[in-house]
Amino acid sequence: MKTGQYIKAVALAATFASGAAVASAQDKEPIRFGLCFDISKSYSFVTPQMAQASQDLAMYVNENGGIEGHPVEIIVRDHGNEPQRGVECYEQLKREGVFIFNFMSTPVSNAVLPRAMKDGNILMQSFVGRGDAVDGEVFEWVFPVGPTYWQQAANDVAFIKDQMGGDLSEAKIGFIYLDYPFGQEPIEILKSLSEKEGFELELYPVALPGSDQSGAWSKIRRDKPDYVISWILSGGHVVASKEMKRNRFPIDRYISVNWMNEVDINNIGPMEAKGILRGTNVAGGQDIPIIQTMLDTYYANGKGSGPESSVRDVYYNMGLAMQLTGNEAARLAIQKNGWPLTPESMKAGYESLVEYDAEGLMAPVTVTPEDHGGGGTTRIEQWDGENWVPLTDWSAEYTDVVWDVIKESSSKYQQ
Amino acid sequence: MFYRLSGVYHTDYVSDSRIYGVPADRNMAAFCLIIGLAAPFIIPSLYLNSYMLPWLIWTAAALGLNLVTGWAGQLHLGYAAVMAVGAYSAIHAVRFGVPWEIALIIGGLAAAVIGSLFAFAALRVKGLYLALTTLAMQFIMDWVLTHSAAISGGSHASLQAPTLALLGQQITSDTGYYYVAFGWCLLVTIFMLNLKRTGLGRALVAVREKDYAAAILGVNSFYYKILAFATSSFIAGVSGALLVATFFFLAAPEQFSVNVSIQVLAMVIVGGLSSIIGSYFGVALILLVPGLVNSAVASISQGLGVQIGVETLAHIPNAIYGALIVIILLIEPLGLGKLYGNVRDYLMVWPFDQIRK
Repeated sequence: MKTGQYIKAVALAATFASGAAVASAQDKEPIRFGLCFDISKSYSFVTPQMAQASQDLAMYVNENGGIEGHPVEIIVRDHGNEPQRGVECYEQLKREGVFIFNFMSTPVSNAVLPRAMKDGNILMQSFVGRGDAVDGEVFEWVFPVGPTYWQQAANDVAFIKDQMGGDLSEAKIGFIYLDYPFGQEPIEILKSLSEKEGFELELYPVALPGSDQSGAWSKIRRDKPDYVISWILSGGHVVASKEMKRNRFPIDRYISVNWMNEVDINNIGPMEAKGILRGTNVAGGQDIPIIQTMLDTYYANGKGSGPESSVRDVYYNMGLAMQLTGNEAARLAIQKNGWPLTPESMKAGYESLVEYDAEGLMAPVTVTPEDHGGGGTTRIEQWDGENWVPLTDWSAEYTDVVWDVIKESSSKYQQ
Repeated sequence: MFYRLSGVYHTDYVSDSRIYGVPADRNMAAFCLIIGLAAPFIIPSLYLNSYMLPWLIWTAAALGLNLVTGWAGQLHLGYAAVMAVGAYSAIHAVRFGVPWEIALIIGGLAAAVIGSLFAFAALRVKGLYLALTTLAMQFIMDWVLTHSAAISGGSHASLQAPTLALLGQQITSDTGYYYVAFGWCLLVTIFMLNLKRTGLGRALVAVREKDYAAAILGVNSFYYKILAFATSSFIAGVSGALLVATFFFLAAPEQFSVNVSIQVLAMVIVGGLSSIIGSYFGVALILLVPGLVNSAVASISQGLGVQIGVETLAHIPNAIYGALIVIILLIEPLGLGKLYGNVRDYLMVWPFDQIRK
C-alpha cells in the first residue's frame, strides 16, 4: 500500500472510530437490508462476492459505532432465480420490517417491481437491471445509483471514437451479445449512435448461455470490424477468447461489458488475456483503502465473512460500492429526518447524495429526484497480464442520446 | 377405518360412476372446500399471498398438463409457452379495452388455437419425437417474445397488467386475488373430476394405452389427441393470464421460459400422472418446498448460532430438496398421488386385512 492510501485508510478508520466514541449503542434498533439473491443458480458467479462484501461492511460499520448509532443488519436469502421465490422472499422480509431490498436478478426484479412500487419500498439496483429505472419520476422507488448498461455502451463507443482519432464515419463496430433482454439492451443506444456518428454497426447474436459462439465469430472474421463490444456474461468471455484466437481477431479490440472478473481472466489465462478491454463501473483491484481495511481487519485474522479469494474479485468491489451507497443514504436519511428510518426518509436520503464516490470505488455521483442514476460514469480498463490498467478517466458521454432512450423506454412502462 | 365401505351399495351404473365412491372422500373434499373458502381468515397473509395463491394457480395449470400428459399420454415440453400465449393475449386484450372476463376467455382461446396448431404438426410423430417437437414450440415462443417489442412491451420485455376487475369489481386486495385463484382452481378441478366419468375421458385413456387399439374400437385417436391439446391449452392460457393478473402483475418472457415448462412437467410427474389430488401434492412439492426448506434451514442455522457461509446456506436446501424428490420417487414411482392412494387403500379395510396376514 502506498503511503498516501495508508493515510487515507487511517483517516477513514478514524472517522468511523470517532463515530464509535459518540455512540457505541449496539442495542439500538438495526437498519435492515434484505438481499434476496440468486446464490445457487444463474447468477451465482457474482452474488456470493456481493453478499460477502455487504456482510463485511456491516460487520465493520457495527464495530465502529453503526450508522448514527444504529447497527446494520444484512439478511441474505437465496431465491434460485425463480420469480415466484423472489416474491416470497420479498413478502416475507417485508413482514419482518425490511424495506430496503436488493434482488440481483432480472426475472426476479421484474416480478417484484410492481409490488415494490405499490408498497413504496426501496429497490437497490446499482449496475444491473433495466436502464430506464434511473428515471426517478417514473421509477420512484428504484435506485440504480451508478451507470446503466446504456451509459456504459455509449462510453464504449466514445472510447472507440477516441482511439480512432475522433472520427467514426469510416469505422465498423461489431456488437456480440447474448440473445435475450440483458444482451439486447444496448442495441437501441448503439443504433442511435451509429446514425449520429456514421459508423457501421454489425450485430452478432449468440444463443444462451454463450457456450457456442463459433457462428458469430466466423462472421466477425468476414466482416472485420474495428472493435467488438461484447455483452456476454462471465464464462462466455472464455469462449470468446478461444474464438478470437481461432479467427485471428486481436484481443485488444474486444471491449467486454463489466461482467468479466478475475476468475474469467484466470480461465482465459492471464498472459493470453493480455490486452483485453473492459468497460467498468467500479474501480477494480485491491489498491483501494476500504478494501485494504477489510483485508487487514478481518481477512488477515481469518475473520472475514467468506473466503479471501472472493475479496480479490471485482464483484466484491461492486457489492461494496452498492452497500456503501445504501449505508450513506441511510446515514443522510437519519441525519435529515431522524429515527425511525422509513422508506420515505430513505428515498430522501438517496436523493440527497451529492458527489458521493463510495470511498473511491466509483466516480462521484449526485442523485436527484429526477435522476436516480446520479450521472454514473464508467471507464475503460485494459488487462496488462497482471493488473487492470485504466485507459480513460471516469466519464459519461452522449448523455443526451442516453436520456432520450431512457425517457422513451420509461414512458412505455408507465402506459 | 376412515373410509368406511359399509352401507355403500351400488345398484346401477349411475351410482357406481359417482365422483365420490366412499362418503369419506366426499367429506374430505367438503372439508378442503371449507378450508379453502375460509383461508383468508385463518391463514396469515404471507402464506396466503406467496404460498397458497401461486400453489392454486399452478395446480390449475398442472391439471391442464395432466390432461394431455396423464390422460391422453402425450408428452408435452412446451406447456409454459402455451401459458405465455394466454397471458400475453389476455393482457393485450385488456389494454385494448376488453373487460377482463372476456379477455381471460380470449387468452384461453388464443392459447387453444396456437396449442392445437402445434399439435397438428406434432401429432404426426409420437413419444420422444413429439416431446422434442413441443420443445421446439417452446423455443420458438421464447424467441418471438424476446424479439418482438410489440408483444412483450418494449425494450425491457416487461408488460404491465392492468388492474384485475371481474363483474364490475376492481380486485386489489390479497383476499380478492386469492378467491380468484381459488375459484379458477376449483373450476378446473371439478372439470377434471368429471372428465374421468365421461366418454371423452375414457376415449383419452384408450388413446393413451394404445392408439391402434383405440382406433379399432372406433375411437378417432387423432381427433381426441387434438381435443386433449386444445383443452389443456385453454386451461394453460387462462392459468397463465391469471398468474400475471393476480401474482406477477407484470408479464416477462422469463416467467414462461423452458425451465418453467420442465418445472410443470416435474409437478405432474412427481404428483402422479392422471391423478388429481397428486397434482395438488406435486405442485406443493416442486413450487413451495424449496422456499420452505430454505427458510427452515436459515432459521435453524440462526437458532443454533452456526456461522455458515451464504453459499453453503443456499446449496443445503437444494440438496435436501433434490434428495426429497429422489426418495419420494423411490418409495412410490407413481408419484405422490399414488402414495396417498396407498394410505387410503390401507385404511379402507383396516383392521380386517390384518387378520388375514
